[in-house]
Amino acid sequence: MRRVIERGVVALFYRIWRATVIGALAVSATTVAPTVVGAQGAAGFRERTVPAIKAGEWTGARLSDGQPDVQGHWSNTIGNHNNFTDPQGGGPDEEQPRQRGARADRAPSRVSDPVSGEVPFQPWARAKAAEFAAHLSNPTRPEYVEPLARCAPAGPTKSFMWHGYEIRQYPGYVVFLFDSGTRIIPLTTSAHLPASIKLWNGDSRGHWEGNTLVVDVANNNSKARLARTGEFASEHVQITERYIFDAKGDRFTYEAVYTDPTVFTRPFTITIPNKRITADTPQDGWNNTTFRANAPGAEPIIEAWERVCVENNGPHGEIAAAP
Amino acid sequence: MTRAFVLASAMLFALAVVSPNERATAQGDGNAIPRTSDGKPDFSGIWQTLGAADYDLEPHATRSDAPPGLGIVDGGEIPYLPAALVQRKKNFAARATADPRGKCFTLGTPRGIYGGEPFQIFQRPRDVTIVYQFGHPVRTIHTNGTQHPEGTLDFWLGDSRARWEGDTLVVDVTQFNEETWLDRSGNFHSDQLHVVERWSYLDRNTISYAATLDDPKVYARPWTLRVLLYRHLEPGFQLIENYCYTLDYDEFYPVPVSERTGQPSPQAAR
Repeated sequence: MRRVIERGVVALFYRIWRATVIGALAVSATTVAPTVVGAQGAAGFRERTVPAIKAGEWTGARLSDGQPDVQGHWSNTIGNHNNFTDPQGGGPDEEQPRQRGARADRAPSRVSDPVSGEVPFQPWARAKAAEFAAHLSNPTRPEYVEPLARCAPAGPTKSFMWHGYEIRQYPGYVVFLFDSGTRIIPLTTSAHLPASIKLWNGDSRGHWEGNTLVVDVANNNSKARLARTGEFASEHVQITERYIFDAKGDRFTYEAVYTDPTVFTRPFTITIPNKRITADTPQDGWNNTTFRANAPGAEPIIEAWERVCVENNGPHGEIAAAP
Repeated sequence: MTRAFVLASAMLFALAVVSPNERATAQGDGNAIPRTSDGKPDFSGIWQTLGAADYDLEPHATRSDAPPGLGIVDGGEIPYLPAALVQRKKNFAARATADPRGKCFTLGTPRGIYGGEPFQIFQRPRDVTIVYQFGHPVRTIHTNGTQHPEGTLDFWLGDSRARWEGDTLVVDVTQFNEETWLDRSGNFHSDQLHVVERWSYLDRNTISYAATLDDPKVYARPWTLRVLLYRHLEPGFQLIENYCYTLDYDEFYPVPVSERTGQPSPQAAR
C-alpha cells in the first residue's frame, strides 16, 4: 500500500518543475515532488501557541459595502490534519513515530473546549475514530480511505488544516478558495437549502459582528473526516463558525462549535490560528502555495494558480484502488 | 376584471420580485447594464446557457443521446486538420464512455461556459472569478495587467489574462492540458489550444459570449463559437456545490450513525 501523499501539492509542484526546468533535466515528478512536500511549513507558520484575538470592533480597512477587508492569501500556523488533538504530534501512519519532545512543547489540541482537549465522543464514535486511525495506512475497507486522499473537498473545518488558501470578498459574499474545495458564503439571513440537500462543505449563511465573521453551516453531509486520526461528525451536525480578525489584518482565529447529539456527548469548540501570506512569505509549497505573478517591473503581486486536484480528478485515484 | 387592474397587478408583482438595486435602476434607465465602481461592466451574477451546444457544437439532428441543435460554430463546422478529423470521428464513436465529462472532470475553457450547469461570476477590479457548479472548480480571469506565467503549464481551465476594450472583456487563455473535450460528441483540442474570449452585455440580463479557438495541432485555422448567457433571476437562486467526481465513493461516507446502536463495527465483524 502506497503511503498517502499530498496529491494536490505534488501536482502543483510538478507544474512548477515543468515551468522552470522542463527540457533541462530528465527528472521525474515523483523524484522531485516528495522533496518539496517534505519541506512542510514556511518560516513563521509552525507556531506552538495560539495567539489570543479578541472579538470586538473592526478598526481596519473596509470594503465599499462596509465589510472588513480581509482579502488575500492565508494559512494556518500549527500544522496539517495528521493529528487532530495533537497537531504537531505526528499522524497515525508513522511506522516509527519521531521523538517530538514533551507535549507542552507542541501546539495545543485543536479542541479548545472542553479544556481536556479531547473530542467529547460518545463511546461508539470514539472507538470508530480509533478504528479509522488504525487503518489509515492499511485501508482494507473503502470507508477506511481518508476522503481527502481521493481529492474530495476537505469539509468546512479541515480545509483550515490543509494547504494555504485565499479569501476573496464581494458585496454580499465572502468566498474561500481552498486547496481542495471552495466555499461561497453569502452574507444573508435567508433560509438554508432544504434539509434534504446535504453537501461536502455544507450550506453557509454569514454575517459580520465587528471584527468577526459569523457563519452558520447547515446541510453538512459530513463525509469529510476532521483529520487523519479519524475524528468525524454525522450529517446531523450543526456548525457555527467565528472568524475573528485582528485589526492589522495579518492574523485571525478560526473557531467552530460542533453540535451533534448523535455523535458527541456535548457541543465542543475547535480553534485554529491563521496568518496572512504576503509577497515576503517564503514559498514552501505547503502553507504558501502562491506564485509571483508575471508582472515585470511592478510591485510584487502574488497569485494562486488553478486548484484542481489533478491526479485524482475523477473518482478513483491510486488510494481508492486499495484492496 | 378590467384591463387596467390586470396591468396594475402585473406591475406590482414585477416590483415585488426584483431586488431593491434592480428596482432603483429600473426607475432610472431600465436598459442600463450593471457597472462596478471603476465604471467597467459588472458581470457579477449566476449565469447559464440554453440550447444543445454541450451535446454537439456543430449542427445536428436529434439522436438517441442528444437533442437537436443548430450548432454554435461560425460557418457551421470546426475546421479540423485531416488527422485531427480522424481522431474526432474516433472520439464520436467512443463518446458514451470517453467523454471526460462522464468522470466529472473539470470541463475546461470554453466548455465550462456552455456545459449546461449554472456558474457564478464574482468581480473585482483586479480579477473576474468564475465558480462552475459542475465539479465546482474555480477560474480566475486576471484583469490587473499581469501576463501569462512563463514556461509550459498544463491547467484544466487554462491561464486567463484579460483587458477591457470599451465595454467588452477580452480574455486571452493559454497553458492548457489536453484532457478536456469541447462537447459530448468528441470535438477536441490539444495542449496547444489558445482561446480568446469576448464577453459583453447584450442587455442587463444577457451576456454575449464568443470564443475563438486556435490550435495548430488540431485546427486548419482559428474558428469561433458564440452563445448567450442568461442571468438567473429566480428569487433565492444559488449554486449547489456539485463535486460529482466524489459520487463513485460517496456510499462509503459518512459514518452511519446507526452504528451507535451497538452493532459490531465492520472491522470487528471480520
